[in-house]
Amino acid sequence: MTPRALATRLGQSLLVIVLAFTGAFLMLQALPGDAVLIKFENPELGLTPAQIAEIREAYGADTPIWTSFWHTLSGFVVGDFGYSIQNGTAVRDLLAEVLPSTALLGVLGFAAAVVLACVVAFTAMGVRNPWLRNTLASLPSVLVSVPVFWLAMVLIQVFSFRLGLVRVIGGGPVESLVLPVLTLAVPISAPLAQILVRSIEDVQRQPFIAVVRAKGASRWWVLTRNIVRNALVPTLTIAGVLLGELVAGAIVTETVFGRAGLGRLTEQAVANQDVAVLQAVVVLTAVIFVVVNLAVDLVAPLVDPRLKKEVRAAA
Amino acid sequence: MTLAHRHLSRRNLFGLGIAAASLTALTACGGGAQANNQTEAPAGDPVKGGTLTYLDAQPHTSLYPPSAGFYPNGGLVNNITDRLVHQNAETLEFEPWIATEWTVNDDATEFTFTLRDDVTFSDGTKLDAAAVAKNFDLYGLGDAARGLTVSEAINNYKSSTVVNPTTVTFHFSAPAPGFLQATSTINSGLLSPKTLDGKLEDFGAGKGPTIIGTGPFVVASEKIGSEVVLKARTDYAWAPKSAPNQSRAHLDQITYVVTPEAGVRVGGLTSGQAHIARQIAATDEKQVTAAGAKLLAPQTRGVNNGFSLRFRNEVLADKNVRQALSLGTNRQEVVDTLFTENYPLATSVIGKTALGYQDNSSKLVHDPGKGAQLLEDAGWKLGSDGYRTKDGKRLTFTVNEAAPQPRSFDVTTLVSQQWKAALGVELKILRADAGTYTKAINDANQVQVYHSMVGRADLDVIKSQYAGKNRNTLLNRDPADDSIGDTKLEELLTKVASTPDHDARIKASQDVQAYLLDEFYVIPLFEEPQVFGLGPKVHGFEAESVGRPTFHNTWVAE
Amino acid sequence: MSDQVTTQAFVLPRIGAFGRRLTLNLRGLRRIWRQPGLVLSVLVLALVITAALRPAVFTSHDPIAGRARDALQAPSAAHWFGTDATGRDLFARVVHGAIHSLGGALVAVAVGLVVGTGIGLLAGSIGGLLDQALMRLVDVLLAVPGLLLALSVIILLGFGTTNAAIAVGITSVAIFARVSRSEVIRVRRSDYVEAAFGSGARFGEVLVRHILPNSLNAVVALAALQFGTAILAISTLGFLGYGAPPPTPEWGLLIAEGRTYVATAWWLTTLPGLVVMAVVLSANRLSHAISKEVGR
Repeated sequence: MTPRALATRLGQSLLVIVLAFTGAFLMLQALPGDAVLIKFENPELGLTPAQIAEIREAYGADTPIWTSFWHTLSGFVVGDFGYSIQNGTAVRDLLAEVLPSTALLGVLGFAAAVVLACVVAFTAMGVRNPWLRNTLASLPSVLVSVPVFWLAMVLIQVFSFRLGLVRVIGGGPVESLVLPVLTLAVPISAPLAQILVRSIEDVQRQPFIAVVRAKGASRWWVLTRNIVRNALVPTLTIAGVLLGELVAGAIVTETVFGRAGLGRLTEQAVANQDVAVLQAVVVLTAVIFVVVNLAVDLVAPLVDPRLKKEVRAAA
Repeated sequence: MTLAHRHLSRRNLFGLGIAAASLTALTACGGGAQANNQTEAPAGDPVKGGTLTYLDAQPHTSLYPPSAGFYPNGGLVNNITDRLVHQNAETLEFEPWIATEWTVNDDATEFTFTLRDDVTFSDGTKLDAAAVAKNFDLYGLGDAARGLTVSEAINNYKSSTVVNPTTVTFHFSAPAPGFLQATSTINSGLLSPKTLDGKLEDFGAGKGPTIIGTGPFVVASEKIGSEVVLKARTDYAWAPKSAPNQSRAHLDQITYVVTPEAGVRVGGLTSGQAHIARQIAATDEKQVTAAGAKLLAPQTRGVNNGFSLRFRNEVLADKNVRQALSLGTNRQEVVDTLFTENYPLATSVIGKTALGYQDNSSKLVHDPGKGAQLLEDAGWKLGSDGYRTKDGKRLTFTVNEAAPQPRSFDVTTLVSQQWKAALGVELKILRADAGTYTKAINDANQVQVYHSMVGRADLDVIKSQYAGKNRNTLLNRDPADDSIGDTKLEELLTKVASTPDHDARIKASQDVQAYLLDEFYVIPLFEEPQVFGLGPKVHGFEAESVGRPTFHNTWVAE
Repeated sequence: MSDQVTTQAFVLPRIGAFGRRLTLNLRGLRRIWRQPGLVLSVLVLALVITAALRPAVFTSHDPIAGRARDALQAPSAAHWFGTDATGRDLFARVVHGAIHSLGGALVAVAVGLVVGTGIGLLAGSIGGLLDQALMRLVDVLLAVPGLLLALSVIILLGFGTTNAAIAVGITSVAIFARVSRSEVIRVRRSDYVEAAFGSGARFGEVLVRHILPNSLNAVVALAALQFGTAILAISTLGFLGYGAPPPTPEWGLLIAEGRTYVATAWWLTTLPGLVVMAVVLSANRLSHAISKEVGR
């Protein structure tokens, strides 16, 4: 990328983030009711109207939309995301608390997905029986068709409650990760395995394979090296999609397993219309998405020189 | 008992049963549950030490005691704070706790408490009269600037006077006979003066370790939204006199784990991964007992789970329509179809174990034929689609799905079927996002029938539920213009809360119960318990007067 | 920019092989019969579509009203999928739920298809500043994870089956927009379109007569793929409590309602779960076949 192209790309990324912020802000403002109303006009609290009015004022619940837009935006720029109205905690603290847990879950889930995808794809490659081979090769389509929440419940029931192999409650940090990681890995492994299977098919068709094999190199070594290189670019380019899958998977997984994390936080915030938290989560995920895609755009041409031309042409 | 009862309920379901017989069975069963505020007499001596895992369905949101009405908050506040006065969960009598004695003036506008002088907060500072005064100044008056609300349990609070380091007096602008009970509730948990300086944010999730109380446990750590760890205070020595354990808690640690999935809660309990699970659904009870776990179903001793008919709505303003709805509701079928013997049929507006209860079964009649006739006479004519109309308008109401209440959707669905079949009335169910929901339930033209309950072991509870200034479930006070529809009801309710004489208050509460049923303002359905599942190793677990867990005397026998 | 690369990767089962019209001629049909998996998929889809349109063909049980004495029976000849806690026949509920789940998925795909393809066509054929602006909007839609976006849209619209479907549809707008845009750009650069412009045809005419039909194939394959995804997404929303209200027998809701009985009545979650899986799998398989056919 030329410096100029890079600058344009950076500018576009920034624009996307600002637009995501604005879109989320406008949408959240348009929601019926607000969190102050939900929390304090709940008859369970038995507050008088005068008390509610005082609280609304204290929270600035009725400030004009532009004022609160600039207030929120300037807060975000300096890293102040406001306070959760539901439990009064600073959103920054909430995020700081849950991010490591979800990041760990996500990284491990992704790693497990890679392993799972490799196992499926390479086993399929090694099998001679065409029927079995086809079955294995279509396994990714099965994996992508499983409802994640259903899978989570089945895994808990079978491995924890029936077989007693792992505890989902009160287990150690490693033990409590096993089933959530597996749950998260299954849907993500599917596209990876599909890419690998396709990459294997492509590489096996190429003439140079015969040449290297003739030179005496081990078949597996050559295949694996070329396949992985071949599969890397498509994998990189769907990084954004995988990221979205990870977040969606985290929401469901963390809810079913009762784990603390970004997903649970999001689910709770949606349920309580905790606008401050939702705003921060939307912007955060948008930033991560944009950064990952930017990184992919920068890295992809290095991995596969053929892309250089294409990228230049497209830009 | 269970079998006999089930047999009866089933027969009743087919229209063969005799309501009276079934009722007796239920009452008896209910009796079993009432006495059951603690696990049966433990075998052997308490085991010291160990960790107990407790499963709750929702994460707590705040440890500010006046917000402890939200169950997960209360479950924690009850164990990290002490109260001035202890209300015996069995007898509902008041016993000394942090206050050794108290006096009340004749018109219940001045309460003086003498305090123990050996109580310390968990940060080592001493509890004195000034600290206690500061607690009630905040709970009684609130501080909107800091987002801190007034405690629902405290009425007419004016000010406090510190007489000496162990004596404090509270003053009220009007009689506040419920104050003594209020000091015993989790909404009046005592916190250190430093903690009370915080804003609402400082009581929020994740701030547990900074909340300083005098209770037998302290919050050691928190994972926001998923886990809270309580550790026992080793120097705790000021339990109420009637408590079986007079020293520190038997347990070293309690881990509260948030498990939103009912299946995981039940599975975790039955597979031995957790010791106690709250909110065992009626449908899961069998599964829990079959696995060797016990059920503890303390009653919440307040206003029964039921419907408030918002009479300021144009259609419900007609008493005949309200009476028809009451007559057309088969409450017995609701209890038999959806619940177990832990959910006794309601026989008044408040529960049998609630203070001031009066049996009003005779006012709660199921007579759909008469109900239909009343509607017919009121000009609501049955159409070919099975619904009644008048002047081209269908007889239709909306009821809210009360998410915190057990099987609310099933209850409202069943009643909706009953009203359609028996009366030709349409009952729609409101299920919506939190914002739409909150707006709708505060408007008698959107939600005409309000499904709710409230638990508190004081006569004031009925006022909490229906008074215009409190929960206002009947919307007797119109939130739009603050006008009161039925002034007589408000007067009766005020009497309950501000009559100094105890017996006169009971009479006032009974007047309210009768009035609500005579006017057909309320259709009580069942007495709502809190259902806990207890693993076989758990002993000495108790629930306080409205069903919050108390762990001070609990131990785990491995 | 990276649109090209990302788009291809988005459409996993080889929609990247762009090209000729979808011609299911005799040779194509013969190819299909040689693939038992595909035949099975078509069969499954045909069955569930029939179930959605004519549920009475499959079952005479009432999906809403049950008999309490029949509660929680294991699968048997009388109740193929067993019964639930209130004695309702689960098979009947699954059959009657088909219309809700399939209909929802159809609405979702339609929203994505119409809105997304519209944006893509506009951006691709007009180009310039409008293209830039529209694509940045699409970027924003992509940047927010689908489930999060769907949840936010649902609170805005209110709960319910149709709203859940619309919300899921909105999450797929971005993908449709990207695929159709890159198709339009490809077609526009092709010789015959250049020629059509050269011969003085009006823009709208070229758009309708040449660009639209030639770029639709990839979009159709994508739609088939999105159909499966939408069923999953709608059932996830139902599971989280934002979809169809009970007692609607929507599939996600069936799984969600049955989940408290996983230990005692396995069939209540397992069987609807397997049905969802089978249908999604079939839809994906069909999408795969369509895109292969397109690429041939």
